[in-house]
Amino acid sequence: MSLRIAVIGAGRLAEVMGRLLAASSTKPELTHWTRRDDVAGAFAERHPEVRRAQSIADAARDAQVVVLAVPAPALEEVAALYGAVARGDQVVIHASRGVGEGFVLGHQAIRAKTCVRKIVALGGPLHSRELGTGRVLAAVAASRFQDGIEAVRAMTAGTPVYVHPTQDLVGVEVAGAMSNVWALASGMVEGLELGDTARGLLMTRGLVEAQRIGLALGADPATFAGLAGLGDLIPRKVSSTERHHAHGAALARGLPKTQDPKVSTPPDDRPLEGVVTALAARTLGAEKRLRLPLLDTIADVIAGTRSARESLEKVLQLDLEDLILPRAALAAR
Amino acid sequence: MVARYLRDTTHGGPPLDEVLAEAIYQETRRLDEAGTSSRAEEDRAFWKDVKHQLGRSSDRTQRDLLASAVRHYATEIVGNFDPRVYGVVSKAGPPALGLLLNAVSPKRILAGFSGLPRLDDAVVIKGEVEHVRRLHDKGRVIMVPTHVSNLDSIVIGFAILRMGLPPMIYGAGLNLFSNPMLGYFMHNLGAYTVDRKKTDPLYKDVLKTYCAVTLELGYDNIFFPGGTRSRSGAIEGKLKLGLLGSGLNTYVENLTRKADKPKLYVVPATLSYELTLEAETLVDDFLKDVGKSRYIISDDEFSQPRRVFDFISSLLSLESRIHVHVSRPMDPFGNPVDLDGNSLDPMGRVVDTARYVVDASGQPVTDEARDAEYTREVGERVIEAFLRDNVLMSTHLLARAVFGLLRKHNARLPLIRLIRAGGQHEDVEMVEVYEVIERLLGELRALALSDGVRLDPRLDRARAEDVVSEGLRHFATYHETPAVSRKGDRLFASDRNLLFYYQNRVEGYGVWPEPELSPALSRDRRSLGGGSGRGDPGPRPRGAEGGAR
Repeated sequence: MSLRIAVIGAGRLAEVMGRLLAASSTKPELTHWTRRDDVAGAFAERHPEVRRAQSIADAARDAQVVVLAVPAPALEEVAALYGAVARGDQVVIHASRGVGEGFVLGHQAIRAKTCVRKIVALGGPLHSRELGTGRVLAAVAASRFQDGIEAVRAMTAGTPVYVHPTQDLVGVEVAGAMSNVWALASGMVEGLELGDTARGLLMTRGLVEAQRIGLALGADPATFAGLAGLGDLIPRKVSSTERHHAHGAALARGLPKTQDPKVSTPPDDRPLEGVVTALAARTLGAEKRLRLPLLDTIADVIAGTRSARESLEKVLQLDLEDLILPRAALAAR
Repeated sequence: MVARYLRDTTHGGPPLDEVLAEAIYQETRRLDEAGTSSRAEEDRAFWKDVKHQLGRSSDRTQRDLLASAVRHYATEIVGNFDPRVYGVVSKAGPPALGLLLNAVSPKRILAGFSGLPRLDDAVVIKGEVEHVRRLHDKGRVIMVPTHVSNLDSIVIGFAILRMGLPPMIYGAGLNLFSNPMLGYFMHNLGAYTVDRKKTDPLYKDVLKTYCAVTLELGYDNIFFPGGTRSRSGAIEGKLKLGLLGSGLNTYVENLTRKADKPKLYVVPATLSYELTLEAETLVDDFLKDVGKSRYIISDDEFSQPRRVFDFISSLLSLESRIHVHVSRPMDPFGNPVDLDGNSLDPMGRVVDTARYVVDASGQPVTDEARDAEYTREVGERVIEAFLRDNVLMSTHLLARAVFGLLRKHNARLPLIRLIRAGGQHEDVEMVEVYEVIERLLGELRALALSDGVRLDPRLDRARAEDVVSEGLRHFATYHETPAVSRKGDRLFASDRNLLFYYQNRVEGYGVWPEPELSPALSRDRRSLGGGSGRGDPGPRPRGAEGGAR
């Protein structure tokens, strides 16, 4: 019996699911639903083998796996819709790379609105564009439940995607969310033409700051040195087409005064995940007394209270002494 | 029960001879240090015999041997010193338990103790009592209280009775039964015996099976999830999840056999005292070097009748109160339940919990890793409930204030040195203390308003002066050296161990003193909890905080 999967939403993950389905040897049955009719229609055209559901209840009714393919800012809202029909045996997968207001992580948003427990966060450098090129792909599947890991394995069986399992849901979610902030930062460095060394410094510092946030929330520090952390940061930095990257570059060069970076970025009407995450992370860092100089700088530049050039150069010159990975924490494992 | 255990083990467990060999090994080791009581002698003879027979045994004799080992453990667990109990249970099997529990009305026993009606006034029961009473008709209740004192076993048994619930079955350490009167009393409040010196996995399995069987047969259970009394005085930060997990197993079992009322409810409860009977011994153990502390303490104040008497009389003479607060019930997955016993999701919608435990074909199955995860979450919810429903009293606040000020005045001294050797400043001014308590009252009242903690109702309108005089009055009555005493307009830390012990009850709330002054323990409450009782009280290396400022 093949796996029955419901894909909700039209985010990046929906596209990945569609492509995976075509490649998977287990031939899952896919059902798709999104609130936006035009998007649903276009998706159905691209993936004729996917059943188009009439409602979220219709999509989830027979599903064993529910994929919430929406960006972080919409996750809680969509989870609430799904929550009305959710069942405790269902595996729920999300791949959002951001947090909600108040630094609410993906699994926390889902938990707050549904009865489900078997939640999987996908992380790591999985790019849908590269599916079908024959290249090796890798993703991290984080879940406290073996059923969750098994579901992802079944979905990727026969595809070139290597799934790296972990129990560290918090670590993978924090690493994924912060990677978008560092994509913004990397864009800024490029926009200011600070060069490759600056980018190296930025990645190192970014990784450590993400790790600090993760530790404060109970993540495994080692996750940040793994595929979901470092492994994700490297390929994302070479991609100059990232919206975050572009937005960062634009910010560094100075946005027109009329454009409020917190509200929207064309062509989408939602705020960028990295923008929301950076601002929420700054608040969290202040509450938990974390030392996050780079993050604070990025958040200030986003908010328009500091100029990118001056503050970034300053933060990259900061003493590197505090950038040693917390050895005590690693040794304690 | 024996049959049940054998059924469970013969499916995919380790080979029988290994189980038996392990049992013989563990028990022989234990008995080497067990002295020459008649009980130890009996045990020695029993295991010697098992060992002898195991030597050249067929599969069939191995099964028989295992059955007799299980029976050996089970009879000790079910009824220890009462031959009547022993006889009834071992002959008639588990259904006789009900008869046993009802055979002697606890009320009649209570009436026999002249001092006890006053205990009635001293124990204040609040919280979701009506809720639990209703759930008792919907399924089985597992009550999980906080644990600071051996008296808890009696207080909780008494509270159950006062709530108008039938006796619940609970485990109590073997040493509690050594007092025959108390043992008898506890037996009739539903206590069974737990010998924590027994390290044999078979024994632990039998214990778990016993709980599971009683739950399946319709008896409510109580157990202390901290596993042992909190050594530091703090609320449990880490729980022993084994028995909580057996609740979930029972639920799955009930679903599988389509039981009439399959549901189980986990009900946290807090027991709060102004003073703890065994405080000196417990905190002393906590402050020993890591690895030297004892998981089992049998020679404490509880074994000294004089101390117990002193404690009870000071309790009654001071109009002291023991607060039993019953928290909101939850299901074995950590979801809250409503008055009708339905599980609710975070949005208040009814959840079909059976779906949590079904396999791909929709059949309920146990799955060790999955169930451990559910149980881990229940554990987290229980700890949250403990913190929320912990009742703070004058002694805790006074200790917090004085200890916090000592820390502040001796800021450069490591915590452990301050406690052991004392600092340069050993006393504090009353005015300082008033100021701090005023602040603490403010912070804690605000927290209590958002259900973050509970305050002794007598502190509702109390001023700092009242808290100090009440606290001093209590401290002066029972402990050999009071934690704090007054000399003129100054307060002296007469017993820093005790001071530390009582102030720890206020740990985990983020109230005064600020984090950098608060004992380093608060950064990792888990090391503080009663679960292991082996926390490292020393300051942690900076790196462990992940770069905290």
